[in-house]
Amino acid sequence: MLLWILLGLLLVFLVLCAIFRDLLYMAISLALASIILAIVLFHYGANIAGVFELSVCAGLITVLFVSTVSLTKDSDQKVESRVPVYFLPFIILLFLGLDFFIVRWLSGTILPKDLTQQAASTATFQSVFWTERTADMLGQIGLILAGVFGILALFRVASKEKQHE
Amino acid sequence: MNSDILLLLFSGFLAFMLGVYILFMYRNLLRIIIGVEVMAKGITLLFLAAGAFQGKIAFIQSLVVTFIIVETILAAIMLALVFTVHKIYDSLDIQLLSKLKG
Repeated sequence: MLLWILLGLLLVFLVLCAIFRDLLYMAISLALASIILAIVLFHYGANIAGVFELSVCAGLITVLFVSTVSLTKDSDQKVESRVPVYFLPFIILLFLGLDFFIVRWLSGTILPKDLTQQAASTATFQSVFWTERTADMLGQIGLILAGVFGILALFRVASKEKQHE
Repeated sequence: MNSDILLLLFSGFLAFMLGVYILFMYRNLLRIIIGVEVMAKGITLLFLAAGAFQGKIAFIQSLVVTFIIVETILAAIMLALVFTVHKIYDSLDIQLLSKLKG
């Protein structure tokens, strides 16, 4: 029952992301959705992923969004058409129907077969992360460096333009 | 337990489709990035459903952690790009970016 409430709330906040006109409210709604997702992760015993979701997605990304919204305040919010919002209820109904068929197809084909074959694993996150998936660390370090260099490159271009002016 | 997994799958797909809708229906760059983030929430739910289904939560946790890092780097780069685009065009409307066409 708790999972139903949590996932319902999560979907409500995600739908609100599509409805809000103000970008700040959209960012806050996304942060609330991240918090609910973190609680769902905790509910399934994925504590470390939950902590990451809470601190990085609900915290860091929201701060980045709010900073960007405040730095790029312009008249775009008034120009944005409301047509997508008017279509949203019909689109959600369409998505629900499509989703129902996808999940029913999955539950009829892939899911029951594997359920008999797979036994619950007792491995801990630490043992999986530091033994089986150590190579992931290299990828993560590479990703972080790519992000840092990408942002540095973007702002380097911006500062050069300033010098020319 | 099985119905919980189906519920996770259902929510994951719905969140993903909602993200695609935001991505295609809005013209503001920041809204588009939020669309990508909404899709990312859906994918995290699908990862969790896969982990719960196979009984390998620890394994899927490491994938989710990696995915969160990917998501964060993507958001940071995209927001930096948005900031640069806003400096040049003084707007966030993606239709103005069609000037980049050759």
